[in-house]
Amino acid sequence: MASEPQKALLFAAAAAVRLLLFTAFPSLPSLLAGRVEVSTPVTSFKRLQEGLFLYTRNVSPYDGGVYHQAPLLLPLFSLLPNPSYSPFATNVFYTMVDLLSAYALMQIANSGQATVTRLFTSSRKELRWSSVAIAAGFLFNPFTVATCIARSTSALTNLFILTAMAKASQGATITFVLSMAMASYLAMHPVLLFPPLLILCYDVQSTKMKASPHTFRFIATHSRRLIIALGALLYLSKLLTGSWDFLGATYGVRLLLPDLTPNVGLWWYFFTEMFDSFREFFLGVFWLHVASYMPGLTIRLRKQPLFVATTLTGIFAIFTPYPSIADAALYLSLVPVFRHLFPLMRYTFLASSSILYTSFLGPAFYHLWIYAGSGNANFFYAITLVWSLGLSVIVGDSLYAALRDELDVERPELRGKEVKRI
Amino acid sequence: MVSSLVLFLLNTFIAYVAASSDYYERLLIRPLPQSSVLTSFNFRSNESADAFEHQNFRYFPRSLGQILQHAGTKELHLRFALGRWDAESWGQRPWNGAREGGTGVELWAWVEAQSEEEAFARWLTLTNALSGLFCASLNFIDATKTIRPVMTFQPEGYHANSSNLHLLHGTLPHEVVCTENLTPFLKLLPCKGKAGISSLLNGHKLFDASWQTMSIDVRPMCGPGGGDCTLEMEQTVDMVLDIDRSKRPRDNPIPRPLPIEEIECDTSKGYNGGDTCYPLDKSEEPAWNLTEIFGQPLKGACPLTEQSGEGSMTVCINTPPERILQVNTTGQYEEAKLASDTVRCYKLPTGADFDLVLPQQRMTTGLVLTGPQLFAARSINGHGQERGSVQAVIKNPSSHSVEFVYLESLPWFMKPYLHTLRARVDNSLENPVKETYYRPAVDRKRGTHLELRMIIPPASTLTLTYDFDKAILRYTEYPPDANRGFDVAPAVIRLINPGSSDNKGIYLRTTSLLLPLPTPDFSMPYNVIILTSTVMALGFGNIFNLLVRRFVGIDEVQAGGAGGLQGVLRGKIDSLKALFGRG
Repeated sequence: MASEPQKALLFAAAAAVRLLLFTAFPSLPSLLAGRVEVSTPVTSFKRLQEGLFLYTRNVSPYDGGVYHQAPLLLPLFSLLPNPSYSPFATNVFYTMVDLLSAYALMQIANSGQATVTRLFTSSRKELRWSSVAIAAGFLFNPFTVATCIARSTSALTNLFILTAMAKASQGATITFVLSMAMASYLAMHPVLLFPPLLILCYDVQSTKMKASPHTFRFIATHSRRLIIALGALLYLSKLLTGSWDFLGATYGVRLLLPDLTPNVGLWWYFFTEMFDSFREFFLGVFWLHVASYMPGLTIRLRKQPLFVATTLTGIFAIFTPYPSIADAALYLSLVPVFRHLFPLMRYTFLASSSILYTSFLGPAFYHLWIYAGSGNANFFYAITLVWSLGLSVIVGDSLYAALRDELDVERPELRGKEVKRI
Repeated sequence: MVSSLVLFLLNTFIAYVAASSDYYERLLIRPLPQSSVLTSFNFRSNESADAFEHQNFRYFPRSLGQILQHAGTKELHLRFALGRWDAESWGQRPWNGAREGGTGVELWAWVEAQSEEEAFARWLTLTNALSGLFCASLNFIDATKTIRPVMTFQPEGYHANSSNLHLLHGTLPHEVVCTENLTPFLKLLPCKGKAGISSLLNGHKLFDASWQTMSIDVRPMCGPGGGDCTLEMEQTVDMVLDIDRSKRPRDNPIPRPLPIEEIECDTSKGYNGGDTCYPLDKSEEPAWNLTEIFGQPLKGACPLTEQSGEGSMTVCINTPPERILQVNTTGQYEEAKLASDTVRCYKLPTGADFDLVLPQQRMTTGLVLTGPQLFAARSINGHGQERGSVQAVIKNPSSHSVEFVYLESLPWFMKPYLHTLRARVDNSLENPVKETYYRPAVDRKRGTHLELRMIIPPASTLTLTYDFDKAILRYTEYPPDANRGFDVAPAVIRLINPGSSDNKGIYLRTTSLLLPLPTPDFSMPYNVIILTSTVMALGFGNIFNLLVRRFVGIDEVQAGGAGGLQGVLRGKIDSLKALFGRG
């Protein structure tokens, strides 16, 4: 358990760093908001401002090709003073979002669900980092800081994903369902986290109440609650904008990828170069591919649902249509919760060096393509490939470690011995 | 200010004459500074509304008339333009800019329809038919290039008889206007370029001009009270010819430096010598004649023009009275002097060539050019292919404030941020924007439409800026010359002048912009599909390999037991070893 002064010091330092960066470099937020690695068409703050501008002038922001974010963000941000003139309130808001995310991350770490679940107890459960260290890893991760300074709305999505995970690992069902609904409402793909987190919630409740709730009733109740919460959010959005047009402009854009602005993911260049007649087919295939991981992981790692959810956030950071470094930041901050798996991982050097390599070369190659004109699109594309490969190595390697950890419990005689997959 | 008075008089008297006759044509020539000459051709043909309804065409071209009837078009304006009007040295635009288009092709029309969908369907019919008629790519004016302006354009004709009129506007800034557009344009004229002033129109010279614009305007005109309606078609060609350039012979078109003996040198320069020379500005008006600058002679009068009166004076030249003019013809002609002798008009002979010869002459007086009411320039700021900003600088040199409408029609792949729109006047803190109409673009469906009503105070400069993002397109959406960039249509500015009795309005247009977009590598769709798929397969394969397989200890499986390439090879080697060992 982290001591209270330590926690306060960490939060104060993180807030100070953010507010200092905001005030000492007034042009940094707009510079970062313009970076394709940080802001995507569905999370960009500049586009949010444009949507807000149109919304406050009674023009539907969804009747245009610029604003693709959730409608409820509009009244939320219209309460804050205009960030072009008085950015302080917005800066404090984003700092608070990061601190709340870190708090949720600490709750996840403190719950101990990473090592000890109802059905599984890791043999290395003593090996763990304190929650303050994990939260510090999140708060001082350059990717998180950049996301916060760029005021990308993926910071909000990350907050709701982390809160949903924290509440599920505490067995607080109502808040879990609500934050799950918010995360799915903002970014759509987090809905895939619902089954593993529901299992987690079920396990925690069973442990707490010393008796398992009725399985089917539990699933049905919570699914119904999620659907009601999502329906309420969507209906509220409809009331707010006056029509259902926002569905096509927000989720439709994520599904069909009309905006091919470069990002760190694999989709944009693939669909730039795709032949027109195969576009729909490959859109379907890519989305099926993203969704296919959820059932496989949930079934195979039934005993470690928190690990499944974490791995899925890693999958989202690689394979969704508009990923940014914010998604990678979320995954990379969740991985240290599983400190006990680190000794079993095999390619940590390869993965971390490829992430570092792409973090530095990505912006450089983008500059060569867009500004210097001495490179072409393939330069940046190659870096996104390496970035995705690096992240998928981490995902695969941690999955190997988790399975090996399970094996050590099932067959203690194999501990430390070489194994083979058949 | 003499010349402005002259032009004003001339324009009103043209309008008066036109209403009374069925066919009318006039060429107005005005020498401009820097040895340029502005030539304005104007042709009008009228058809009574009744005859038009019954498809009884006399002067109105049947081909165009039937298209208009089929597409339910009540008023049509079509423009083909090239080059830039240099307002700094040439002054006010001909027809106050009302018969001028932006670079490329511009088309706007009032279409009668019950609903917006029907209006758009008729608009597509119209653009496709006009595309065939004028050999231009007008059929590429689709939904992404069509806007419905609300403040910029006003109907010129009389439309009390029609209801449910829809204004649609489309531009093709990339279109290269050339001779294939001139030929159908001349075919619409009753004399078809065989006689009359239209016989001067030659594609080689017209499209070599520093600035040229061709226009077709069809509008219904009615007498007071709405009776006695006619359909008027006006065609104009305005061009600014560079005299030196136009005089170059066709068989030797490349300009070569003159021998040094023929250049007038500035002998006051220190380096002046036998082989170095600083050429003196020619203070004399150059010598030219019509046949030389148009490359072909004026073949006498079109017989359909009036035989007497103002309407018969079809060639006019606007010069100071002291400028010597010689007429070179074998037929009968008449000369009339107007507006204190600054305009000289000629009635052309029938069936005989006519030429105006202006010798080289040192002038002591000149015409004062009227300055334009506004100057406008627009450019793209910023570097890189990711984003930029547009800056429009509008200058009001006059001593009274000017109200105007500014219209932008942007392609969908240029995404402006309206919240970054700033309009500043250099000597006032007041926001000059009074009214905004904005319709944002939708990807691949429609373009941006922005109209601003602004007031610019006297003797001040207004700067309008906004940021935009450049979209990256699918590789099939780029034209073959993708790295050249995309053209952005000129901004249209209409001056709101409550005192004007003329319903044509005062317009000016900026130049078009060249917008470079980021380009993918066009040569590697297969490579990209293969490489991306490889990375996805690696991720998928790695994860599902772990998920579906079971771990066992390495010593629990026999080496090479359960098949596999390694096992097969080891088995073969073992059997070979056994074979040789025995042998």
